[in-house]
Amino acid sequence: MAFRNLRRRPLRTGILVAALSLMVAALVFALSFVTRVTSSIKLTSDRLGADLLIVPTGARGGAEDILVENRATSFYMNKSFVDRIKKIKGIDKVSAQTYLVTLTGLCCSVPSSMVVAFNQETDFIVTPWLKEKLGRKLRKGEAIVGSESAYNINLGMVEMEAKLFGSVFSMVGVLDKTGSGLDTAVFISDENIGEIIKNSDANIKPDQISVIFAKLKKGADPYTVMSEIENTIIELDVVMRKDIGKSLITTLGDISKIFYLTMVLSTVLSLFLVWAIFTAIANERAREVGIMRALGAKEKHVVQLFLLEVLVLGAIGSLAGIIAGTTLTLIMAQSFSILKNLPVDLTPFTRTVIALAGLLFGTGICVLGALSPVQRLKKLEPLLVIKQE
Amino acid sequence: MPQIIVENITKSYLVDNAPLDAVRSVSLRIDKGDFISIVGHSGSGKTTLLSMIGGITRPSSGKVLFDGEDIHALASDRVSEYRCEKIGFMFQFASLLPILTVKENLLLPTIFRPRAAGQEVSAKAEELLRMVGLTDKINVYPAQLSGGQQRRVAIARAFMNDPALVLADEPTGDLDEETEGDMMRFFKTMNEAKGITFIMVTHTTDLARQTKRQLRMNQGTLLVV
Repeated sequence: MAFRNLRRRPLRTGILVAALSLMVAALVFALSFVTRVTSSIKLTSDRLGADLLIVPTGARGGAEDILVENRATSFYMNKSFVDRIKKIKGIDKVSAQTYLVTLTGLCCSVPSSMVVAFNQETDFIVTPWLKEKLGRKLRKGEAIVGSESAYNINLGMVEMEAKLFGSVFSMVGVLDKTGSGLDTAVFISDENIGEIIKNSDANIKPDQISVIFAKLKKGADPYTVMSEIENTIIELDVVMRKDIGKSLITTLGDISKIFYLTMVLSTVLSLFLVWAIFTAIANERAREVGIMRALGAKEKHVVQLFLLEVLVLGAIGSLAGIIAGTTLTLIMAQSFSILKNLPVDLTPFTRTVIALAGLLFGTGICVLGALSPVQRLKKLEPLLVIKQE
Repeated sequence: MPQIIVENITKSYLVDNAPLDAVRSVSLRIDKGDFISIVGHSGSGKTTLLSMIGGITRPSSGKVLFDGEDIHALASDRVSEYRCEKIGFMFQFASLLPILTVKENLLLPTIFRPRAAGQEVSAKAEELLRMVGLTDKINVYPAQLSGGQQRRVAIARAFMNDPALVLADEPTGDLDEETEGDMMRFFKTMNEAKGITFIMVTHTTDLARQTKRQLRMNQGTLLVV
């Protein structure tokens, strides 16, 4: 009966389904967006292996671009800061990395890439991954690429060699996926920097580095150490591990507010629409309900009949919304710059949870909107509605 | 003991802020197997009296006892069970659900009755449709039937749950003379063969004369003819 009733007024049913699906699509998109960005930031922070990230003043955003958003960028400071940082109370280990951005690879199809030169003696960021994959240190003239690097052909193959900054490097392997922005980078030993400066017009001097990673001694307070560094060395900015992606989160917060506002408005609109349509349906079918009540239907039978209609409507609208929202997310992931560069995609489990949330929300709104008209209808005295013309 | 005892019932409505008694202090005793007709002008309170006996509207005062039980003192679900299990309604207008076929309309009251066996009620619906002469209309929708045919479906539906009491509000209103006669014979058969009690509201004195007892309503009060 519920299905037949819905088919009575196909246009009205269609409008309601469309409104619900728009609302659920907005929810699915907003949840996918926020979840993807926040989980990318969290994963990067968790896997960094350092407590503090030290960059030249003003380069905080650039470092986050590399680590969180996969964006190739470069910034430099003097290597002597490494020794000054080491002496600060609470610092256990430090290691520097130098970031270089290539313009072209050996093959013209390879886009510009991030090249990370690191010190193999002091490094604690890349080395654990390198040991696991290569089992030895990188030699001069060798490079290992991130799992998402343009040099990784996949199927276990990697470009044999690539020309980076005028020097030819042998590609010795591919690192496992870390989930951070460094997955798209090419890693080399910092012994190669001299050669690179000699053979190319890379805008870097021999005594320059990009970033210093610091590990703190057990019990040291990251905030105190950060303040100490920033107060002592004015040329540096410090980012605590937990604050990585903070600027992105702030931007995301504003975008999220717009999403949530859209969500609230579309929810209120859908709720009102469901209420209005079910009030009209209740008025139209009051006499039929009166006849059913006279024939022995209990209040629960009336509620069940309408609830089934509501659930069918809610489920159809929500499923359409989930499909539309997921498709929109996939399309936007290719064109929305904030999403395009994120290292982490949503897992099937997360997508399922978001879809279920959309289904529950859409159906819930439908039930909520129809509640009042159905409650009123079930309480009507049969004779009064039967006699209505 | 009478099957139905109506004790001094009154039904008042507020019309333009003034109380109006649709039924005024009516008392009535009906035995099982009785066949009563109620005649009267429009607005005399016939339908309201029938509705109070059938439990689809509550009296403002007074009682309706069915087999000794005050039906208006029961909870809402129990009144629904009373309507479902004891009463067969025939309304004075087309009362079929347009989205259901003729047979599905007949099966509708059985949905609300627990323990209704599917095959048994299906056969019963077909048998009742045969009795009202609509065997060939089983699977059509009400919109495809004439007013008289719809009325006959509603008549057949009233017997689906084996009611103890049939409340018929001008049941033959849309029927031609011949079919009206057929339906009256059908009612009498059900009354005599199955002992079903009938209370029938009619404007036709000829029909009223065919019943065992005739009552008249005038301005909410009941008179014995």
